[in-house]
Amino acid sequence: MTGSAPLSRPTVKFILVDQLLELEPAKRIVMAKNVSMAEEYLADHFPGFPVLPGVMMLEAAVQTAAWLVRNTLGFAHALIVLKEARGVRYGTFVAPGQTLILAADAVAIAAGRSDFKIKGTVHGQTAIQARLELVHLNLADSDPHLASVDQRSLAAQRERWQTLTLRTAAPTLGAAS
Amino acid sequence: MAMTKDEVFVKVKEVLTTALAVDDDEVTPDAHLTTDLGAESIDFLDIIFQLEKSFGIKIPKNELMPDTNSPDLVQNGKLTPKGVAELKTRMPFLDLTGIEADPDVTKIKDAFTVDSLVNYVMTKLSA
Amino acid sequence: MRWIWIDKFEHFEVNVAARAIKNVSLAEEHLHDHIPGFPVMPASLMIEGMAQTAGILVGAARNFQEKVILAKIGRASFARLVRPGDQIVYAARIVNVSEQGAAIEGAITVRSSTAGAREELPVGSIDMMFSHIDNNLAGAKFPEFNFVFNSEFMNLFETYRRDLNVQLPAASAADDK
Repeated sequence: MTGSAPLSRPTVKFILVDQLLELEPAKRIVMAKNVSMAEEYLADHFPGFPVLPGVMMLEAAVQTAAWLVRNTLGFAHALIVLKEARGVRYGTFVAPGQTLILAADAVAIAAGRSDFKIKGTVHGQTAIQARLELVHLNLADSDPHLASVDQRSLAAQRERWQTLTLRTAAPTLGAAS
Repeated sequence: MAMTKDEVFVKVKEVLTTALAVDDDEVTPDAHLTTDLGAESIDFLDIIFQLEKSFGIKIPKNELMPDTNSPDLVQNGKLTPKGVAELKTRMPFLDLTGIEADPDVTKIKDAFTVDSLVNYVMTKLSA
Repeated sequence: MRWIWIDKFEHFEVNVAARAIKNVSLAEEHLHDHIPGFPVMPASLMIEGMAQTAGILVGAARNFQEKVILAKIGRASFARLVRPGDQIVYAARIVNVSEQGAAIEGAITVRSSTAGAREELPVGSIDMMFSHIDNNLAGAKFPEFNFVFNSEFMNLFETYRRDLNVQLPAASAADDK
């Protein structure tokens, strides 16, 4: 584990993917997002009918694609953000207890930007489909003083990738007697 | 001055590339809106809105899609024989052989090709 | 995390256009994770801010009787990063509305201060569509009651309305549940 930076304390995480399912280097990535009543914003969306907000599906898709970019370019950018989304269509609702499977196919991955076609499904039914354009940045490119922020972000990303790609089963707690 | 079919095709193509986020060369006359260009139900509404704006025409509510609330025409998600006949009269430019075999209401969208949309706009413009 | 992504309406013209603002603050926990050391407002949550502004505009056009759901984002593009201390401005305009749904054009700007000077800068633009889902039986299962314009929302809208002189189309039948 990396040492915690100052100002780092447990906080709400804006992480919309839970597990890596498939990865074809530079080409395709599939991740899973479990939806749970523990996600507090569901109480507002909607009261009596909790469903994953469409923009959270979009964020999950952006994060899925961004992980393929990181894996392909060797964690070279502190910030990978959405530049443009096109043709985003929503289908089936996604409810707590369900898992949204996000598949991102890379159309192109260049040093500074990438294009993807994404699809999110639940039991094979389409919940979201879209085309995404991402941009990849380092803060030091506009302000050299921010190089340390870039480093901190990259360290956090590497650590998170380890969590997302854990494939071993959880350790057992010893035989029941 | 009346528009030619080619002129209408160019404008319909613009609407479809925007609404369906597809490339220009994918929008061929034979392309099916759903199976080839990936159109969903909301896209049909988008296309209707944009066609109205682009051509200055009015597309009334049940002109392109049948009224699913009318038991004469639709029962249990399937078109009645009367419904199929009504569809054929209203939309002679659609290839409805698939619908005649399986009158599932949700399959009507699959009958729309780019060319059928162009023909539809032509009839609206000459009305 | 509450699912309220606008703070106040500055302008509201039923059936035409609305403008709402959102203050971006370090008190919002998710910013600390996006990204650590350089908080920026996620694009997906700015799309939600526009969706809430536009969704309320579309809902008001039919006196909140319809269940208005975000169905499509034709295009959302972003050109600037938004930071804590900034104020996001969402300007939505109805392009078309029918029984089936509505089409909206939106512009996002940011009121930002640097060295005491405050300016309003372009952030992005969004074309989106809402579906009136009661009229579009696309096989999705959902409750009969209006979970979108629910009583919590109507209370929130009263708060928003206090700053405006909003005339709704008919007498407030929307309060009946």
